[in-house]
Parts: sequence; structure tokens; C-alpha cells
Amino acid sequence: MRLLKRIPLWGWAVVLLGLLVGLFFIPGGHKATFDVSGEFILHPIIRLPKLGPIDLSVTKAVIYEWIAVGVIVVVALVIHRGLSPRPSRFQTIVESLYELAHDGIAGAVMKGEGAVTWFPYIGSAFFFVLMCNVVGLIPLPFGTGHQLAFYAATGNINVTITLAALTFVFTHYAGIRQKGPVGYFKSWVIPAPPFLKQFIFLSDVISQIFRLVSLSVRLFANMLAGHFILAVFFAMVLVFQSYLIGVVLQVGSVAVFLFEIFVAVIQAFIFAILSAVYIGSALEEEH
Amino acid sequence: MDVSAATIAAAATTEQGLRLLGAGLAAGLGVVGPGVGMGLLFGSSIESIARQPELRGEIRLNMFIGIGIIEALALYALVVALILLFVVK
Repeated sequence: MRLLKRIPLWGWAVVLLGLLVGLFFIPGGHKATFDVSGEFILHPIIRLPKLGPIDLSVTKAVIYEWIAVGVIVVVALVIHRGLSPRPSRFQTIVESLYELAHDGIAGAVMKGEGAVTWFPYIGSAFFFVLMCNVVGLIPLPFGTGHQLAFYAATGNINVTITLAALTFVFTHYAGIRQKGPVGYFKSWVIPAPPFLKQFIFLSDVISQIFRLVSLSVRLFANMLAGHFILAVFFAMVLVFQSYLIGVVLQVGSVAVFLFEIFVAVIQAFIFAILSAVYIGSALEEEH
Repeated sequence: MDVSAATIAAAATTEQGLRLLGAGLAAGLGVVGPGVGMGLLFGSSIESIARQPELRGEIRLNMFIGIGIIEALALYALVVALILLFVVK
């Protein structure tokens, strides 16, 4: 034992280097193939009838959404049961998330009464997207053949386009309710020379429709690309036939996974705050 | 991606090659603009925080909105590349 304490730092560096070089010379396993895109195909689990073009079957994405909603409901009930003026650590975390949604997102971007009216939607969107993204980083047995696999419900364009469509509908509903239908569309017109006025109105219409696309594609592509990279990093060890690259890839996989957690939280925040900005800009008085 | 020799040989038609080339160019060149934009965004936001440290919270809020919008542009390029790889036959 005393001998181990007398080894200097450079001695340990030599040992580590020797281990890595030794790993390089161990013959690796046999080459295996992997199909990254297989995880993203959805098979219906409970078959329900089609309603016109919309298929109502319960697939993996639907179950993951239910799990996210279940987590939110359980956390809310537990916190509600045990609310105390000297909060536990868990209560502090949930309270700071709630404060972020209430003051940081809805209160900071929408003025006054708009924040009070629309905070239920903004807060729900924030928590739902956050939970969907985070639950997508927990391995659950929904992979092919009941293996443990990652899957984010928001990595499916149908889920994100529904959320973006909700924001879109609420934006125009808020504007029309506040200013009346004609007044709302008149607020998109700014005083300008006659030919330019029509052009600006047209480009405003196009940008409003494009908000639907951009909101949904941003969340979808972030989650999809993130899980793609995650799957490639985790499975790349099968392609190279050496243990040394396996060790290096484990470190890389951990780094990518931490980055994915960061991206999950940021994307929820960005979705909520852009929804708040859109609804707030439909509610504001002057142009 | 299947990396056995048989599938590499099967993919060696001009159509497939051009398709993959298009996907690579889309994903690669499509992030040049948003990259420059992100650099400008962070540079100016850090500079303005340095000028007026009491506005840190507001500037951070607007910075996150800017990150979201610019990153979406980079991801459109990635979505085009994914469409070329997996949807176009």
C-alpha cells in the first residue's frame, strides 16, 4: 500500500498510456451492422379506426406523450400534497421551473393582462415539451423486440406540428378577440405608399403562415437530429473493430448525452417563449 | 446505415451518388450562414452585457430568442439533407 502512495503523477500517466496502447492491440469483436433509422418508424400498438386521413391508433409516440403527461400530473399532485413554507429540495426545483414559466416567459414577454390570460397555455406548452424531451432521454422498453431504447415524442413531426398549430390558432384567436376581426387584420397594415402597402401586408401574411412551419420544424429537427447523433455514437462501437476506439467513444457518448439534456431544456424554453412572443405581438395595441 | 460490401456496390449508380452528394452539400454549406450569425449574436450580446451589467437578464432573454430562430435555419438545411437521404428514392 505504501508503495502505491509513492508512485508520482507521471507514473500513473505512463500506466494509463500503456493501458491505452494495450487496448489498441487486443483484437476486436466481429463487425456488426446497425440501422440507425429503424428506431424512428412507428408501429401501431393498439389499433384504433381511422378518422378520414387521420389514423387514431396508439403508437409508441402516443404512449410516450401519456408518460410525459403522467409525470407532470404525479409531480403536481405530490407537490400539492406536501406544500410547505420551508420547501424541500424537490419543491424548490418545481417552484423555480414554475417561476421560470410564469415570470421568465409569460411575464417578461407579454404585458399585464395578456400574461394572466395566456399563462395557462404557455405554461402547459413549456412543461409538456420539457417533459416530452426529457422522457425521451430515459431508456424505456419500447424498442424493437422490447429492448431498452430512447425515443422522444417531440421527435415526430406530427406531435410538433400539433403544438405549433395550437400556438397559431391561439395567436389569431387572441388578436381577433381583442381587436375584432377587421381591426386585427388592419393592424398588419402600416401607413406606407400604396403599392408598398399591399406588398408589406402580403409578406406579413406569409410570415404568419411560416411561423407555423418554423415553430414545428425547429423542435422536431432538434430532437430528431439529437437522437440520431445519440444512436450513431452509441452504436458506432460495433462498426470499428477495436477496443481503444470503444473507450474513446464511451467518453464521447457521455458528452453527447449531456449536450442532449441541455438541448432538451433549451428547446422547451424556446418553444414557450416564441409562443409567448407571437401571442403577445397579436395582443399589443400600437404597431 | 448498412456498411456491408454488397450494399455499397448496389448504391453505386450516378443517381444515388448525386443524391448523397446533394445531401452532404446541403448539410455542410447550410450551416455556414447560421454559424456566422450565431457568432455575431453572441459577440454583440456579450459586449452589451459588458457595457451594462445590470441588464444581464433582459439581454439573456433576447439572446435565447435569437438562438432559437437562428438554429432553426441551420436545422432546415439538415431536414433537407435528411429528406434527400431517406425520403427520395
